[in-house]
Amino acid sequence: MAKARPIPGLEASTRFGDAAAAAVETRTREVFGHAAGVLDTGDVERVHDMRVATRRLRSALEIFAPCFPRKPYKRALGDVKALADALGARRDPDVALERLDEIRDGFHAADGAGVESLAAELRDEQAVGNERLSAALKAVREGDLESRLIVLAEEARR
Amino acid sequence: MKARKVAKLNPEGTLGDAVRRVVAVRARELESFVPRALDPGKSKAQHDMRIAAKRLRYVLEIAAPALRQPATDGAKAAKRLQTVLGEIHDCDEMLARTQTHIERLRAEDAEALRNAATGAADIEPEAARAAPNRARYRGLESLTTYLTARRAVLFERFVHQWEELDRDGFATSLMESLSAASTAGPEVNDSEQASGSRVDGGAA
Repeated sequence: MAKARPIPGLEASTRFGDAAAAAVETRTREVFGHAAGVLDTGDVERVHDMRVATRRLRSALEIFAPCFPRKPYKRALGDVKALADALGARRDPDVALERLDEIRDGFHAADGAGVESLAAELRDEQAVGNERLSAALKAVREGDLESRLIVLAEEARR
Repeated sequence: MKARKVAKLNPEGTLGDAVRRVVAVRARELESFVPRALDPGKSKAQHDMRIAAKRLRYVLEIAAPALRQPATDGAKAAKRLQTVLGEIHDCDEMLARTQTHIERLRAEDAEALRNAATGAADIEPEAARAAPNRARYRGLESLTTYLTARRAVLFERFVHQWEELDRDGFATSLMESLSAASTAGPEVNDSEQASGSRVDGGAA
């Protein structure tokens, strides 16, 4: 899992609004820095990294909520939540499949058919999750979420 | 689970002051799930406590450069709690999923046997030998047994972790260590609140 990027210039005496701007800028760059290749089910770490980064961004938005103008904040937070939900819909079956693979390795061979039948169901769910994530990423691009978040962060400096 | 509101957060205040306010609310929120979450059957309380641990962890991570070691230590403790509660939640999810899967296979098999006996007055027990999913139940029962046992072990680990954390009062000792680490910023009073065009009290 990718470590969180350090947020530059934070001190206890930093103005709360300036800390909000720095945190949301850093976390936004982090999310979109992980966007490449997330639809590749052969490399499940990518979607995991983007999901964790999205959670951190959402958390930063919520912590610093009073620093942002209400309307664009609500819209951006809603879009970040929607992206997080879509990442979760893909990531949850990824995690369950990884776990089942580990379990199956330790089980008796005669247990394999049962575990595999559950895994097959999870792979179908993973494919559905990937389609949902693809649509969510398209919505994020078309809605220019990254730019809106950067502008929102800048507002907190005023 | 909806986060508790944090009052008196002001963009013109300092990060140190704001973080202490947010952490105080989040740490109390985490504590509020005890003793319910210490009952092994209260999976909803354990799930909500995990979300509370995550919220606390993220605010402490953001605060770490400003509030240094106490924030880093607090974030690590919250992460450990979040991790074990997350693994318990994964067991619960997988158990529910496995039960649903078994029920689906059972329904498929019963239907297949019934269809094979169309027009018959009864079904012989031997018919079950032809159930399409007959080889799958054993593995799914083993999985259920394993996950039930693993959940119990993880739950004991969670209780032990919480007892360690709460020995001196979790929220109180965290707040004391953060206060000691912070350079006190100006107190924020009600008249200094942000203008109405900003988002009201954070649900951080």
